[in-house]
Amino acid sequence: MIELVPGARLPERTFGPVTMTDIVRYQGASGDMDPIHHDDDFARSAGFPAAISVGMLSAGWLAAYCTEHLGEETVRRFRTRFSRVVYRGDRLTASAEVVRLFTCDRESRVELSIQLRKDDGSLVVDGTAEFAVR
Amino acid sequence: MATMPIERGKIREYATATAAACPVYLDDPKAPVPPTFLATVVFWTPIGETVRAPEVLRACADAGVEADLGSLLSLEQEYVYHGPLPRAGETLQIAERLRDIQVKRTRDGHAMVVIRFAVSFQDERGGLRAECLYTSAYVQRERP
Repeated sequence: MIELVPGARLPERTFGPVTMTDIVRYQGASGDMDPIHHDDDFARSAGFPAAISVGMLSAGWLAAYCTEHLGEETVRRFRTRFSRVVYRGDRLTASAEVVRLFTCDRESRVELSIQLRKDDGSLVVDGTAEFAVR
Repeated sequence: MATMPIERGKIREYATATAAACPVYLDDPKAPVPPTFLATVVFWTPIGETVRAPEVLRACADAGVEADLGSLLSLEQEYVYHGPLPRAGETLQIAERLRDIQVKRTRDGHAMVVIRFAVSFQDERGGLRAECLYTSAYVQRERP
């Protein structure tokens, strides 16, 4: 277990390379059946070279990364901002850094800044997560 | 007002689809929701009614931006939880509201109408348990 002090970083975790199976499984689970995520012809007609992954799948992977380290029962806030589209074959790395420890509603909380990047370092999703801590 | 039952099987499916297949999500009959699970609310009610509200359409017309749902960009999503996390077996009441509308410019000079709206989730006793705060935008297609 990492000591949660400002500046501390969680161990990184990689996801992918992203496959069509990852994408369609998330689409089925989430109910977002937008064809731009699984139909290459449709995506090309919208100006993309191929179907693009689902932003909320990237957010979901970041959520899994956070709950793995901070627990499944303690999330209080989870914010994600979408910067770049992801294609099949991309490998993504999640990272997180402790921003602050604070008290809210009489419980101790940690705020993390979270990022998901491609292998070339480009930012896919960033955001903040707050979890209750003991 | 629409309702959303939190289902155990749906939590298993969602956790597996997001590489979060751990015992808490897979084996607990009263599993807590994963942080972004409430995105599955779309199985119970359409989300995004407010992006077609008259004041949004008016702002788009004034800014010269086509309010085309196909070109609506999702910029940000935030989940805020209040009190105990929603768990499998609970039923939540859903309501959506428009928060604000702002007209901005993209880096390459296109007008952009940014819409912030919220979906709230209340339990059977009326307690607010979670909110999803969306930031979405309609972007002008051609340079003015």
